[in-house]
Amino acid sequence: MVLEGAIIYSNLLVLLALGLTLTYITTNVPNFAQGSFAIVGSYIAVTLLRIFHIHPYFSLPFLLIAGAIVGFSTYLILKPLVARRADVEILMIATLAIDLILLGTIGAYSEILSKIVGFTQAKFVFSQLDFSIFGIKGIFFVSIAVTLLLLFCLYLLLYKTKFGTALRASMENPDLAETMGINVEQTRAFSWALSGALAAVAGGLLPFMQEIVPMTGDIIIISIFASSIVGGLTHITGALVGGYIIGLSESLITYYLSSIFGTGFLVYGKVVALVIMIITLLFVPSGIMGINWGKRPKK
Amino acid sequence: MMDILQLILLWFGIYYIVAVSLNMEFGYAGIPNFGKALSVLVGAISVGGILNRLLIWYFGVKGDLIEGSTFAIARMNEIIAAHPLAGIFLLLIAILLAMVVGFVVGMIFILPSAKLKADYLGVTLLAISEAIFLVCVYNLSIIGGYYGISTPDILAFAPGEKRGWIFAGIVLVFAFLSFLFMEKLLNTPYGRVLKAMRENEDVVKCFGRDIMKLRMRTMAIGSAIGAIAGVLYSFYTGNIVANSFTRVEWTFFPFLMILLGGKGNNKGVALGVLAYVIVIVFLDIYKYDIKEIFHIPFEPVWLTYILFGITMLLILYYKPTGLIPERPVKTPPVKRIMED
Repeated sequence: MVLEGAIIYSNLLVLLALGLTLTYITTNVPNFAQGSFAIVGSYIAVTLLRIFHIHPYFSLPFLLIAGAIVGFSTYLILKPLVARRADVEILMIATLAIDLILLGTIGAYSEILSKIVGFTQAKFVFSQLDFSIFGIKGIFFVSIAVTLLLLFCLYLLLYKTKFGTALRASMENPDLAETMGINVEQTRAFSWALSGALAAVAGGLLPFMQEIVPMTGDIIIISIFASSIVGGLTHITGALVGGYIIGLSESLITYYLSSIFGTGFLVYGKVVALVIMIITLLFVPSGIMGINWGKRPKK
Repeated sequence: MMDILQLILLWFGIYYIVAVSLNMEFGYAGIPNFGKALSVLVGAISVGGILNRLLIWYFGVKGDLIEGSTFAIARMNEIIAAHPLAGIFLLLIAILLAMVVGFVVGMIFILPSAKLKADYLGVTLLAISEAIFLVCVYNLSIIGGYYGISTPDILAFAPGEKRGWIFAGIVLVFAFLSFLFMEKLLNTPYGRVLKAMRENEDVVKCFGRDIMKLRMRTMAIGSAIGAIAGVLYSFYTGNIVANSFTRVEWTFFPFLMILLGGKGNNKGVALGVLAYVIVIVFLDIYKYDIKEIFHIPFEPVWLTYILFGITMLLILYYKPTGLIPERPVKTPPVKRIMED
């Protein structure tokens, strides 16, 4: 049961960390609004459920589009600063500001929605809507399927299409890519849209796992950053590895320690993620995928 | 009207202490300390978690932290009501304690990231601060968590109507002392090496300075000063609820004040803080009127978030240097050159 929850959580973290890593590679900004991107997805899903009675699993395609719009708009806001080549501190503050705007919007919207449907939407879960097979929650299969499908599509896009090659080229070396006639602006905008879309899908599935409140995004951001950093902020595959490391250890280590020290230990879940992140930063600052596995350093 | 002025002065003082210490870290040294809220929380922990425990122990009260605090503080307030000096003494003890704890915490806080680049640094500081905040909210045995604990009324001797004014006075004294301290400290070779580090770390390294030590010292001093604000805030409100030490309130808004006023300029920061405080105090007083007039169907606090988020973006777009931009330092040799 605990392992089941841990795997579901890891899948969602992979999606969120993937978006964070993508935008970090293309634009060099750690996006503090990534957690709120997800919660925007959660609230769109709950709206579709309450008003149009669409089951959250079926609203996922719609979340992809809505998330892409949020991600793209964020890029449009950052664009003048990126174009001015502002310091990374300034860009980080800008994403904090966007996070605050999203938080305000989500909070305000949750109250408006509560008035429309007649009962509070400030916090909600979807777990009562889930199906189960042999006593295993449906979200377990769905989260695995969705994550695999999205990763497969991403792989096809990045490695089998011309646009994907251009995207990878502009990640590796934007200046050189630009001289080769690749529109770096376009690839950046695309990566932000993709990041928003992935986050929104994760947000649509998150309420099957835990209760959502407008502030949830500000809490899960610790785990998202931990995942990306542990895996390596500059490697797309890092998000995959990191998401699983953080997701599993955050759930399993916390569960294990709370069985020794009592349930009071459960509040230290984020501390576990943080400690792993700090250990990574101290010993392998470039993350697990940043290590030159098996290769001798070239001279 | 006088009440409003009193509130503005009080909040100006508290936020100025936070902002001026953040200005040293971010404006001068270029450390993007997105975990500023932690230093304010440290101030609250010093009062709620350490001072209250000492009082409970001193009076021999039984019970856990939350229950014990209530009794111990009732006893302490009686003493303060009879001997005003005891209140002042308690305040000074708390501030000294918070500065020591803040100094140590600040130093440890930066350790894991002392060698990192600016972006990793900001992320790590934010993550550490946020994780400690969450633990303090959900673990009731540190400072009472979301349940909250009461703090001694250091002005228990003062009549009710004067309490606010006296408190505003105390806060302003500490804000002024912080200003003087920062001006003196940063107008030295140390202050200028911080600016050099902000502009180009490699050059500072070339001149034989250790970046890690500089960062540690800066964060230690910054956190020690920031903790003073936490102490004053905890004493002013009369209780500590861990939920009030949020990232938005004590990290994002101080950044907003600094960027509005002009980073790297302590006087500009004062202007930024004042502008923010005036807006927030009036918003707080009239928020329900605003809600009525414009038929806003939700809590005005969300609207405040949206508005301040947009304000921040506008500052970054159009006035990144702030209202009073930073000026080059005129050291005696520079003056001599300019006169020639």
